[in-house]
Amino acid sequence: MPPLAMSLLQRVCQAGLVAWVVGTLTFVLTRTLPGDMAYRIAAGRYGHEQVTAAAAEAVRAELALEGSAVQAYLQWFGDLARGDLGRSLVSGQPVAGELQHLLGHSAQLAGVAIVMALLIGVPFGLASGLSRHRLLDRLGLALAVAMRSLPPFVIGLGLIMLFSITLGWLPAAGSGHLTHLWLPAMALALGLAAVSSRVTHHAMARVAASPFYAFARQKGLSARQALYRHGLRNVSVPVVAYLGVQLIYLMEGVVVIESLFAWPGIGHALVHAVVARDVPMIQGTALVLGLGFVLLNALVDLACRGLDPLRQTS
Amino acid sequence: MTTTATHHRIPLLRLRVPLPRARMAGALLLALLIAFGWLVPLWHDVSPHHQDLMHTLTPPGAEHLLGTDPLGRSMLGRLTEAVRLSLGLALLSVASAAVPGVVFGVIAGWRPGLVDRSLGLVADVVLALPGLLLVLLLAAIAPGTFWSLYVGIALVLWVEYFRVVRTATRTLISAPQVQCARMLGFGPGYIFRRHLWPELAPEVTTLAAFGASTAVLAVSSLGFVSIGLRPPTAELGLMMTELFPFYQEAPWLLAQPVIMLFLMVLSFQLLAGREPQ
Amino acid sequence: MHRPPPLSLLCRLLLVPLLLAALPASADDDRLDVVAPWEINSLDPVQSGLILGRMQVAETLIDSDDTGALVPGLATRWQSPDATHWHLTLRQGVHFHDGTPMTPKSVAASLERTLDRPGVLAQADILEVTPTDQGVDLVLAQPFAALPALLSHYSTQILAPAAYDNDGQVTRIIATGPYQVTQLALPQRLDSTRFEAYWGKAPAIATTRYLAAPRSETRTLMAQSGDADLVFTLDPVSLARLRMTPGLALFAEPIPRTVALKLNATHPGLDTPALRHAISLGIDRDGIAQGILRRSDAAAHQLLPPSMARWHLSDRAPEARNLDRARQLLASEGWTPGPDGILSRNGTRLALTLTTFADRPELPVIATALQAQLRELGMDVQVNVGNASEIPASHQDGSLNMALLGRNYGLVPDPLPTLMQDFGPTGGDWGAMNWSSPALQDIFTELTRHTDPARRDALAQQAATLLADERPVIPVVSYMQTLAASSRLEGVSLDPFERSYRLADMRWGD
Repeated sequence: MPPLAMSLLQRVCQAGLVAWVVGTLTFVLTRTLPGDMAYRIAAGRYGHEQVTAAAAEAVRAELALEGSAVQAYLQWFGDLARGDLGRSLVSGQPVAGELQHLLGHSAQLAGVAIVMALLIGVPFGLASGLSRHRLLDRLGLALAVAMRSLPPFVIGLGLIMLFSITLGWLPAAGSGHLTHLWLPAMALALGLAAVSSRVTHHAMARVAASPFYAFARQKGLSARQALYRHGLRNVSVPVVAYLGVQLIYLMEGVVVIESLFAWPGIGHALVHAVVARDVPMIQGTALVLGLGFVLLNALVDLACRGLDPLRQTS
Repeated sequence: MTTTATHHRIPLLRLRVPLPRARMAGALLLALLIAFGWLVPLWHDVSPHHQDLMHTLTPPGAEHLLGTDPLGRSMLGRLTEAVRLSLGLALLSVASAAVPGVVFGVIAGWRPGLVDRSLGLVADVVLALPGLLLVLLLAAIAPGTFWSLYVGIALVLWVEYFRVVRTATRTLISAPQVQCARMLGFGPGYIFRRHLWPELAPEVTTLAAFGASTAVLAVSSLGFVSIGLRPPTAELGLMMTELFPFYQEAPWLLAQPVIMLFLMVLSFQLLAGREPQ
Repeated sequence: MHRPPPLSLLCRLLLVPLLLAALPASADDDRLDVVAPWEINSLDPVQSGLILGRMQVAETLIDSDDTGALVPGLATRWQSPDATHWHLTLRQGVHFHDGTPMTPKSVAASLERTLDRPGVLAQADILEVTPTDQGVDLVLAQPFAALPALLSHYSTQILAPAAYDNDGQVTRIIATGPYQVTQLALPQRLDSTRFEAYWGKAPAIATTRYLAAPRSETRTLMAQSGDADLVFTLDPVSLARLRMTPGLALFAEPIPRTVALKLNATHPGLDTPALRHAISLGIDRDGIAQGILRRSDAAAHQLLPPSMARWHLSDRAPEARNLDRARQLLASEGWTPGPDGILSRNGTRLALTLTTFADRPELPVIATALQAQLRELGMDVQVNVGNASEIPASHQDGSLNMALLGRNYGLVPDPLPTLMQDFGPTGGDWGAMNWSSPALQDIFTELTRHTDPARRDALAQQAATLLADERPVIPVVSYMQTLAASSRLEGVSLDPFERSYRLADMRWGD
């Protein structure tokens, strides 16, 4: 089997496994969560101080919470096979529809954050990787370590203070307009850029020191031409590969940042679903996040294959 | 994975390896933080929970070295507790992620075939699960407890060790010196101690340092979304949330946990001695 | 020719949205942006009617004014000869947002649907809802004088028949308010626009947006940066800072919501009025008011605030903190300090768990203050911060010791239904636990039958005296509704019953 097909097959198997594990794990864990589920769901529905025993009993009867666990478990997979993720226990709306809306927002946020991180991190890394100045390297390292040492919410608060309160350029929080995207995306991007810039720096330094790069310069290419024709492509492989690793950081950042910026995304929804014991919503969210993660990693694989000049020729 | 030695051969790349000075600085910083968390309470024992609503938001001074928080609790007492908690959690979860990670990694690297493939599959699946979900669910089972956060973080972290150790073991096990040792009849324990561990140790310590900073940041982030530890526990993320409204009235208060968290993560980053590869 | 360098191409592609985004959001300047902590978790008024009512999208049959007096809403008159049979007359010329007229039949159908779901209306035990020529007739199983107050609760908002699907689920919000929904993005955002066929006065501001921002930091920053025109529920500390922000006007109004301690009256440390009195004496209400809420007038000595005059004992002097008297009371019940300073009786230490929840950020803080204050009396209190639902759940299974909660007695303008729920014969999820008083039940029953105001006043005062003496629930502090409004807005006011944000009365100044 050609290696590409092999790796795709592997990813498909992984996706299947993820679906199974997410379904099972969330099911087992949510069944073992403490606290009466009916009360939790009632609290999620009617607001915290409107929960009464009567409301909880009504929820229990409506959702048949006392039913067989095995049956509910099998039901979920049966429905999943038909593409049905069920209805949220809190809002009563289909989970799939809600996820579509939430995932859209999160993907927008994460996508812009990644692009911003590359726009900030890559040029910085290239410049410091090409230059032989010790100071620039040190400065880059210090900045990167500093950015990585601050939790995203501290960066986010700092950005709001600067751009919304002091300068008044961008809205502090909310959603609905494109300008709302910049601050949360930047809060995520700064942490990502810190790492991207270092990875780029190393890759660039390695390429710049390689014989083929020296040859490119010797054959008469200007610094700029050499960089564009021979440098960037080689540098991009580790940078893109590292993006895959950073996706985890991104997902965790998303939860905190979405909460701070009142952004209607999937991380925020997951926290709420866990608190309200909205099992179909937890399962749906986890499934989408898990599969999204597999998909993105597959894309990163493909991109690396496409970008790597060595692999292409062989 | 390139080793430090090869970097030194290329003069241009010497800068890539932060000098051991950086590692020393990291270790020193960590030692200072440990001393702050565990030794300061020995000579200045103030409860992190004792409230005095008549003396709130006092600036740093003789009576309260770092001032008091909005409930009149000693910031020094709270910071030491928070540092103990974060460091304790980080070290504990890193240690308990490293042990299974290394053990399974070595086993998988040593035994290609079914064992390797099934362990690899488990790791792949865990890696594809949103780690946050695991931590969230565990935190929901036992809200506000230390162990739920710890188990959640450890479960997420072990995969990294596993993957790195497995790859390294694969190459090491086919190296001539290991082959010789095996032919000479040395047991797996000896081979691990003599040949594998010395090569794996630097990788594992780097991962541990990064893992520790991940753990510290994760706990504070969870505190910020009120899923982690609960008040009145002094935890850095929670303290930041509690003190944020006072940023204008008493900026020195908010600065304290922020600086402490920064120093803690910084010490781990420096201690790692290497940058992400 | 060399190929376009990938990086610069990428840069160019990205610059377009960046530039577009940099344009100011000037098009939306006339929209009224409202920010509050509550998320919209459903389309159903039973769940999210709170927000639909406040944003003036949906309306109830009966409304209330600032004093809590009932005034006509979608119903213009309501009468009952015996508090069991009720006749409601509907307002003429009311249209739903889909253009269909509101008819007795559609109102009856909407009410019937509400009855199927848990909510305050269940208290009235309604047997029958019948549409008549001009209105709706309701038949109850037994007299309930406070029914009109229940019909002003948000869960009874009237939606059009087209709002429901065949299972009775709400699929679209089609109501009668001055604003109609244009876009709803659960759980965060609700956009609405002026409803031109509204029966009442047309609002001056054409479009509004509701945004849920559960974090108080976020709301404060949004008020400070001028992102939002109305920001509700501000934390006490930020209030001082916002007061100094130019372009903002601050509003505050006491609301009938009280932070109170719910006590398990069968716990050995809490089972007599004297013990509960001792706890009340041990609480430093002024310290909590000043230190945490930053208001000197926040201390609450009675469950119901002075604004609810019928239920407030105006001649009862507030009791200041008195640790000596509290210790005497504890000693008289046999609880004396042990060697570790903790009270004990016959070898049992007085250890209690105080359950509260974090959704209201001030509650855990007040709980830790109470923990420290009760420790001075010798009580070993553990604070357990959990989910709000743990309080009713542990009330039901009997495991609760003490709970700190915020109770809204103005859920409906008449506090009677809420009090009946809280202090019923078997206690209440958000009220008494293992405490009941036949005398109080008799008062409640009489109150549900009588419509004569003088008689009701006297009965309510008796009930308030009983609750103040027995202390099944101990009041701690009272809440204040707070609002930061853009100073460009005119006609801003706060509803003491939090039923409406009164957007329809506002207009843009110059």
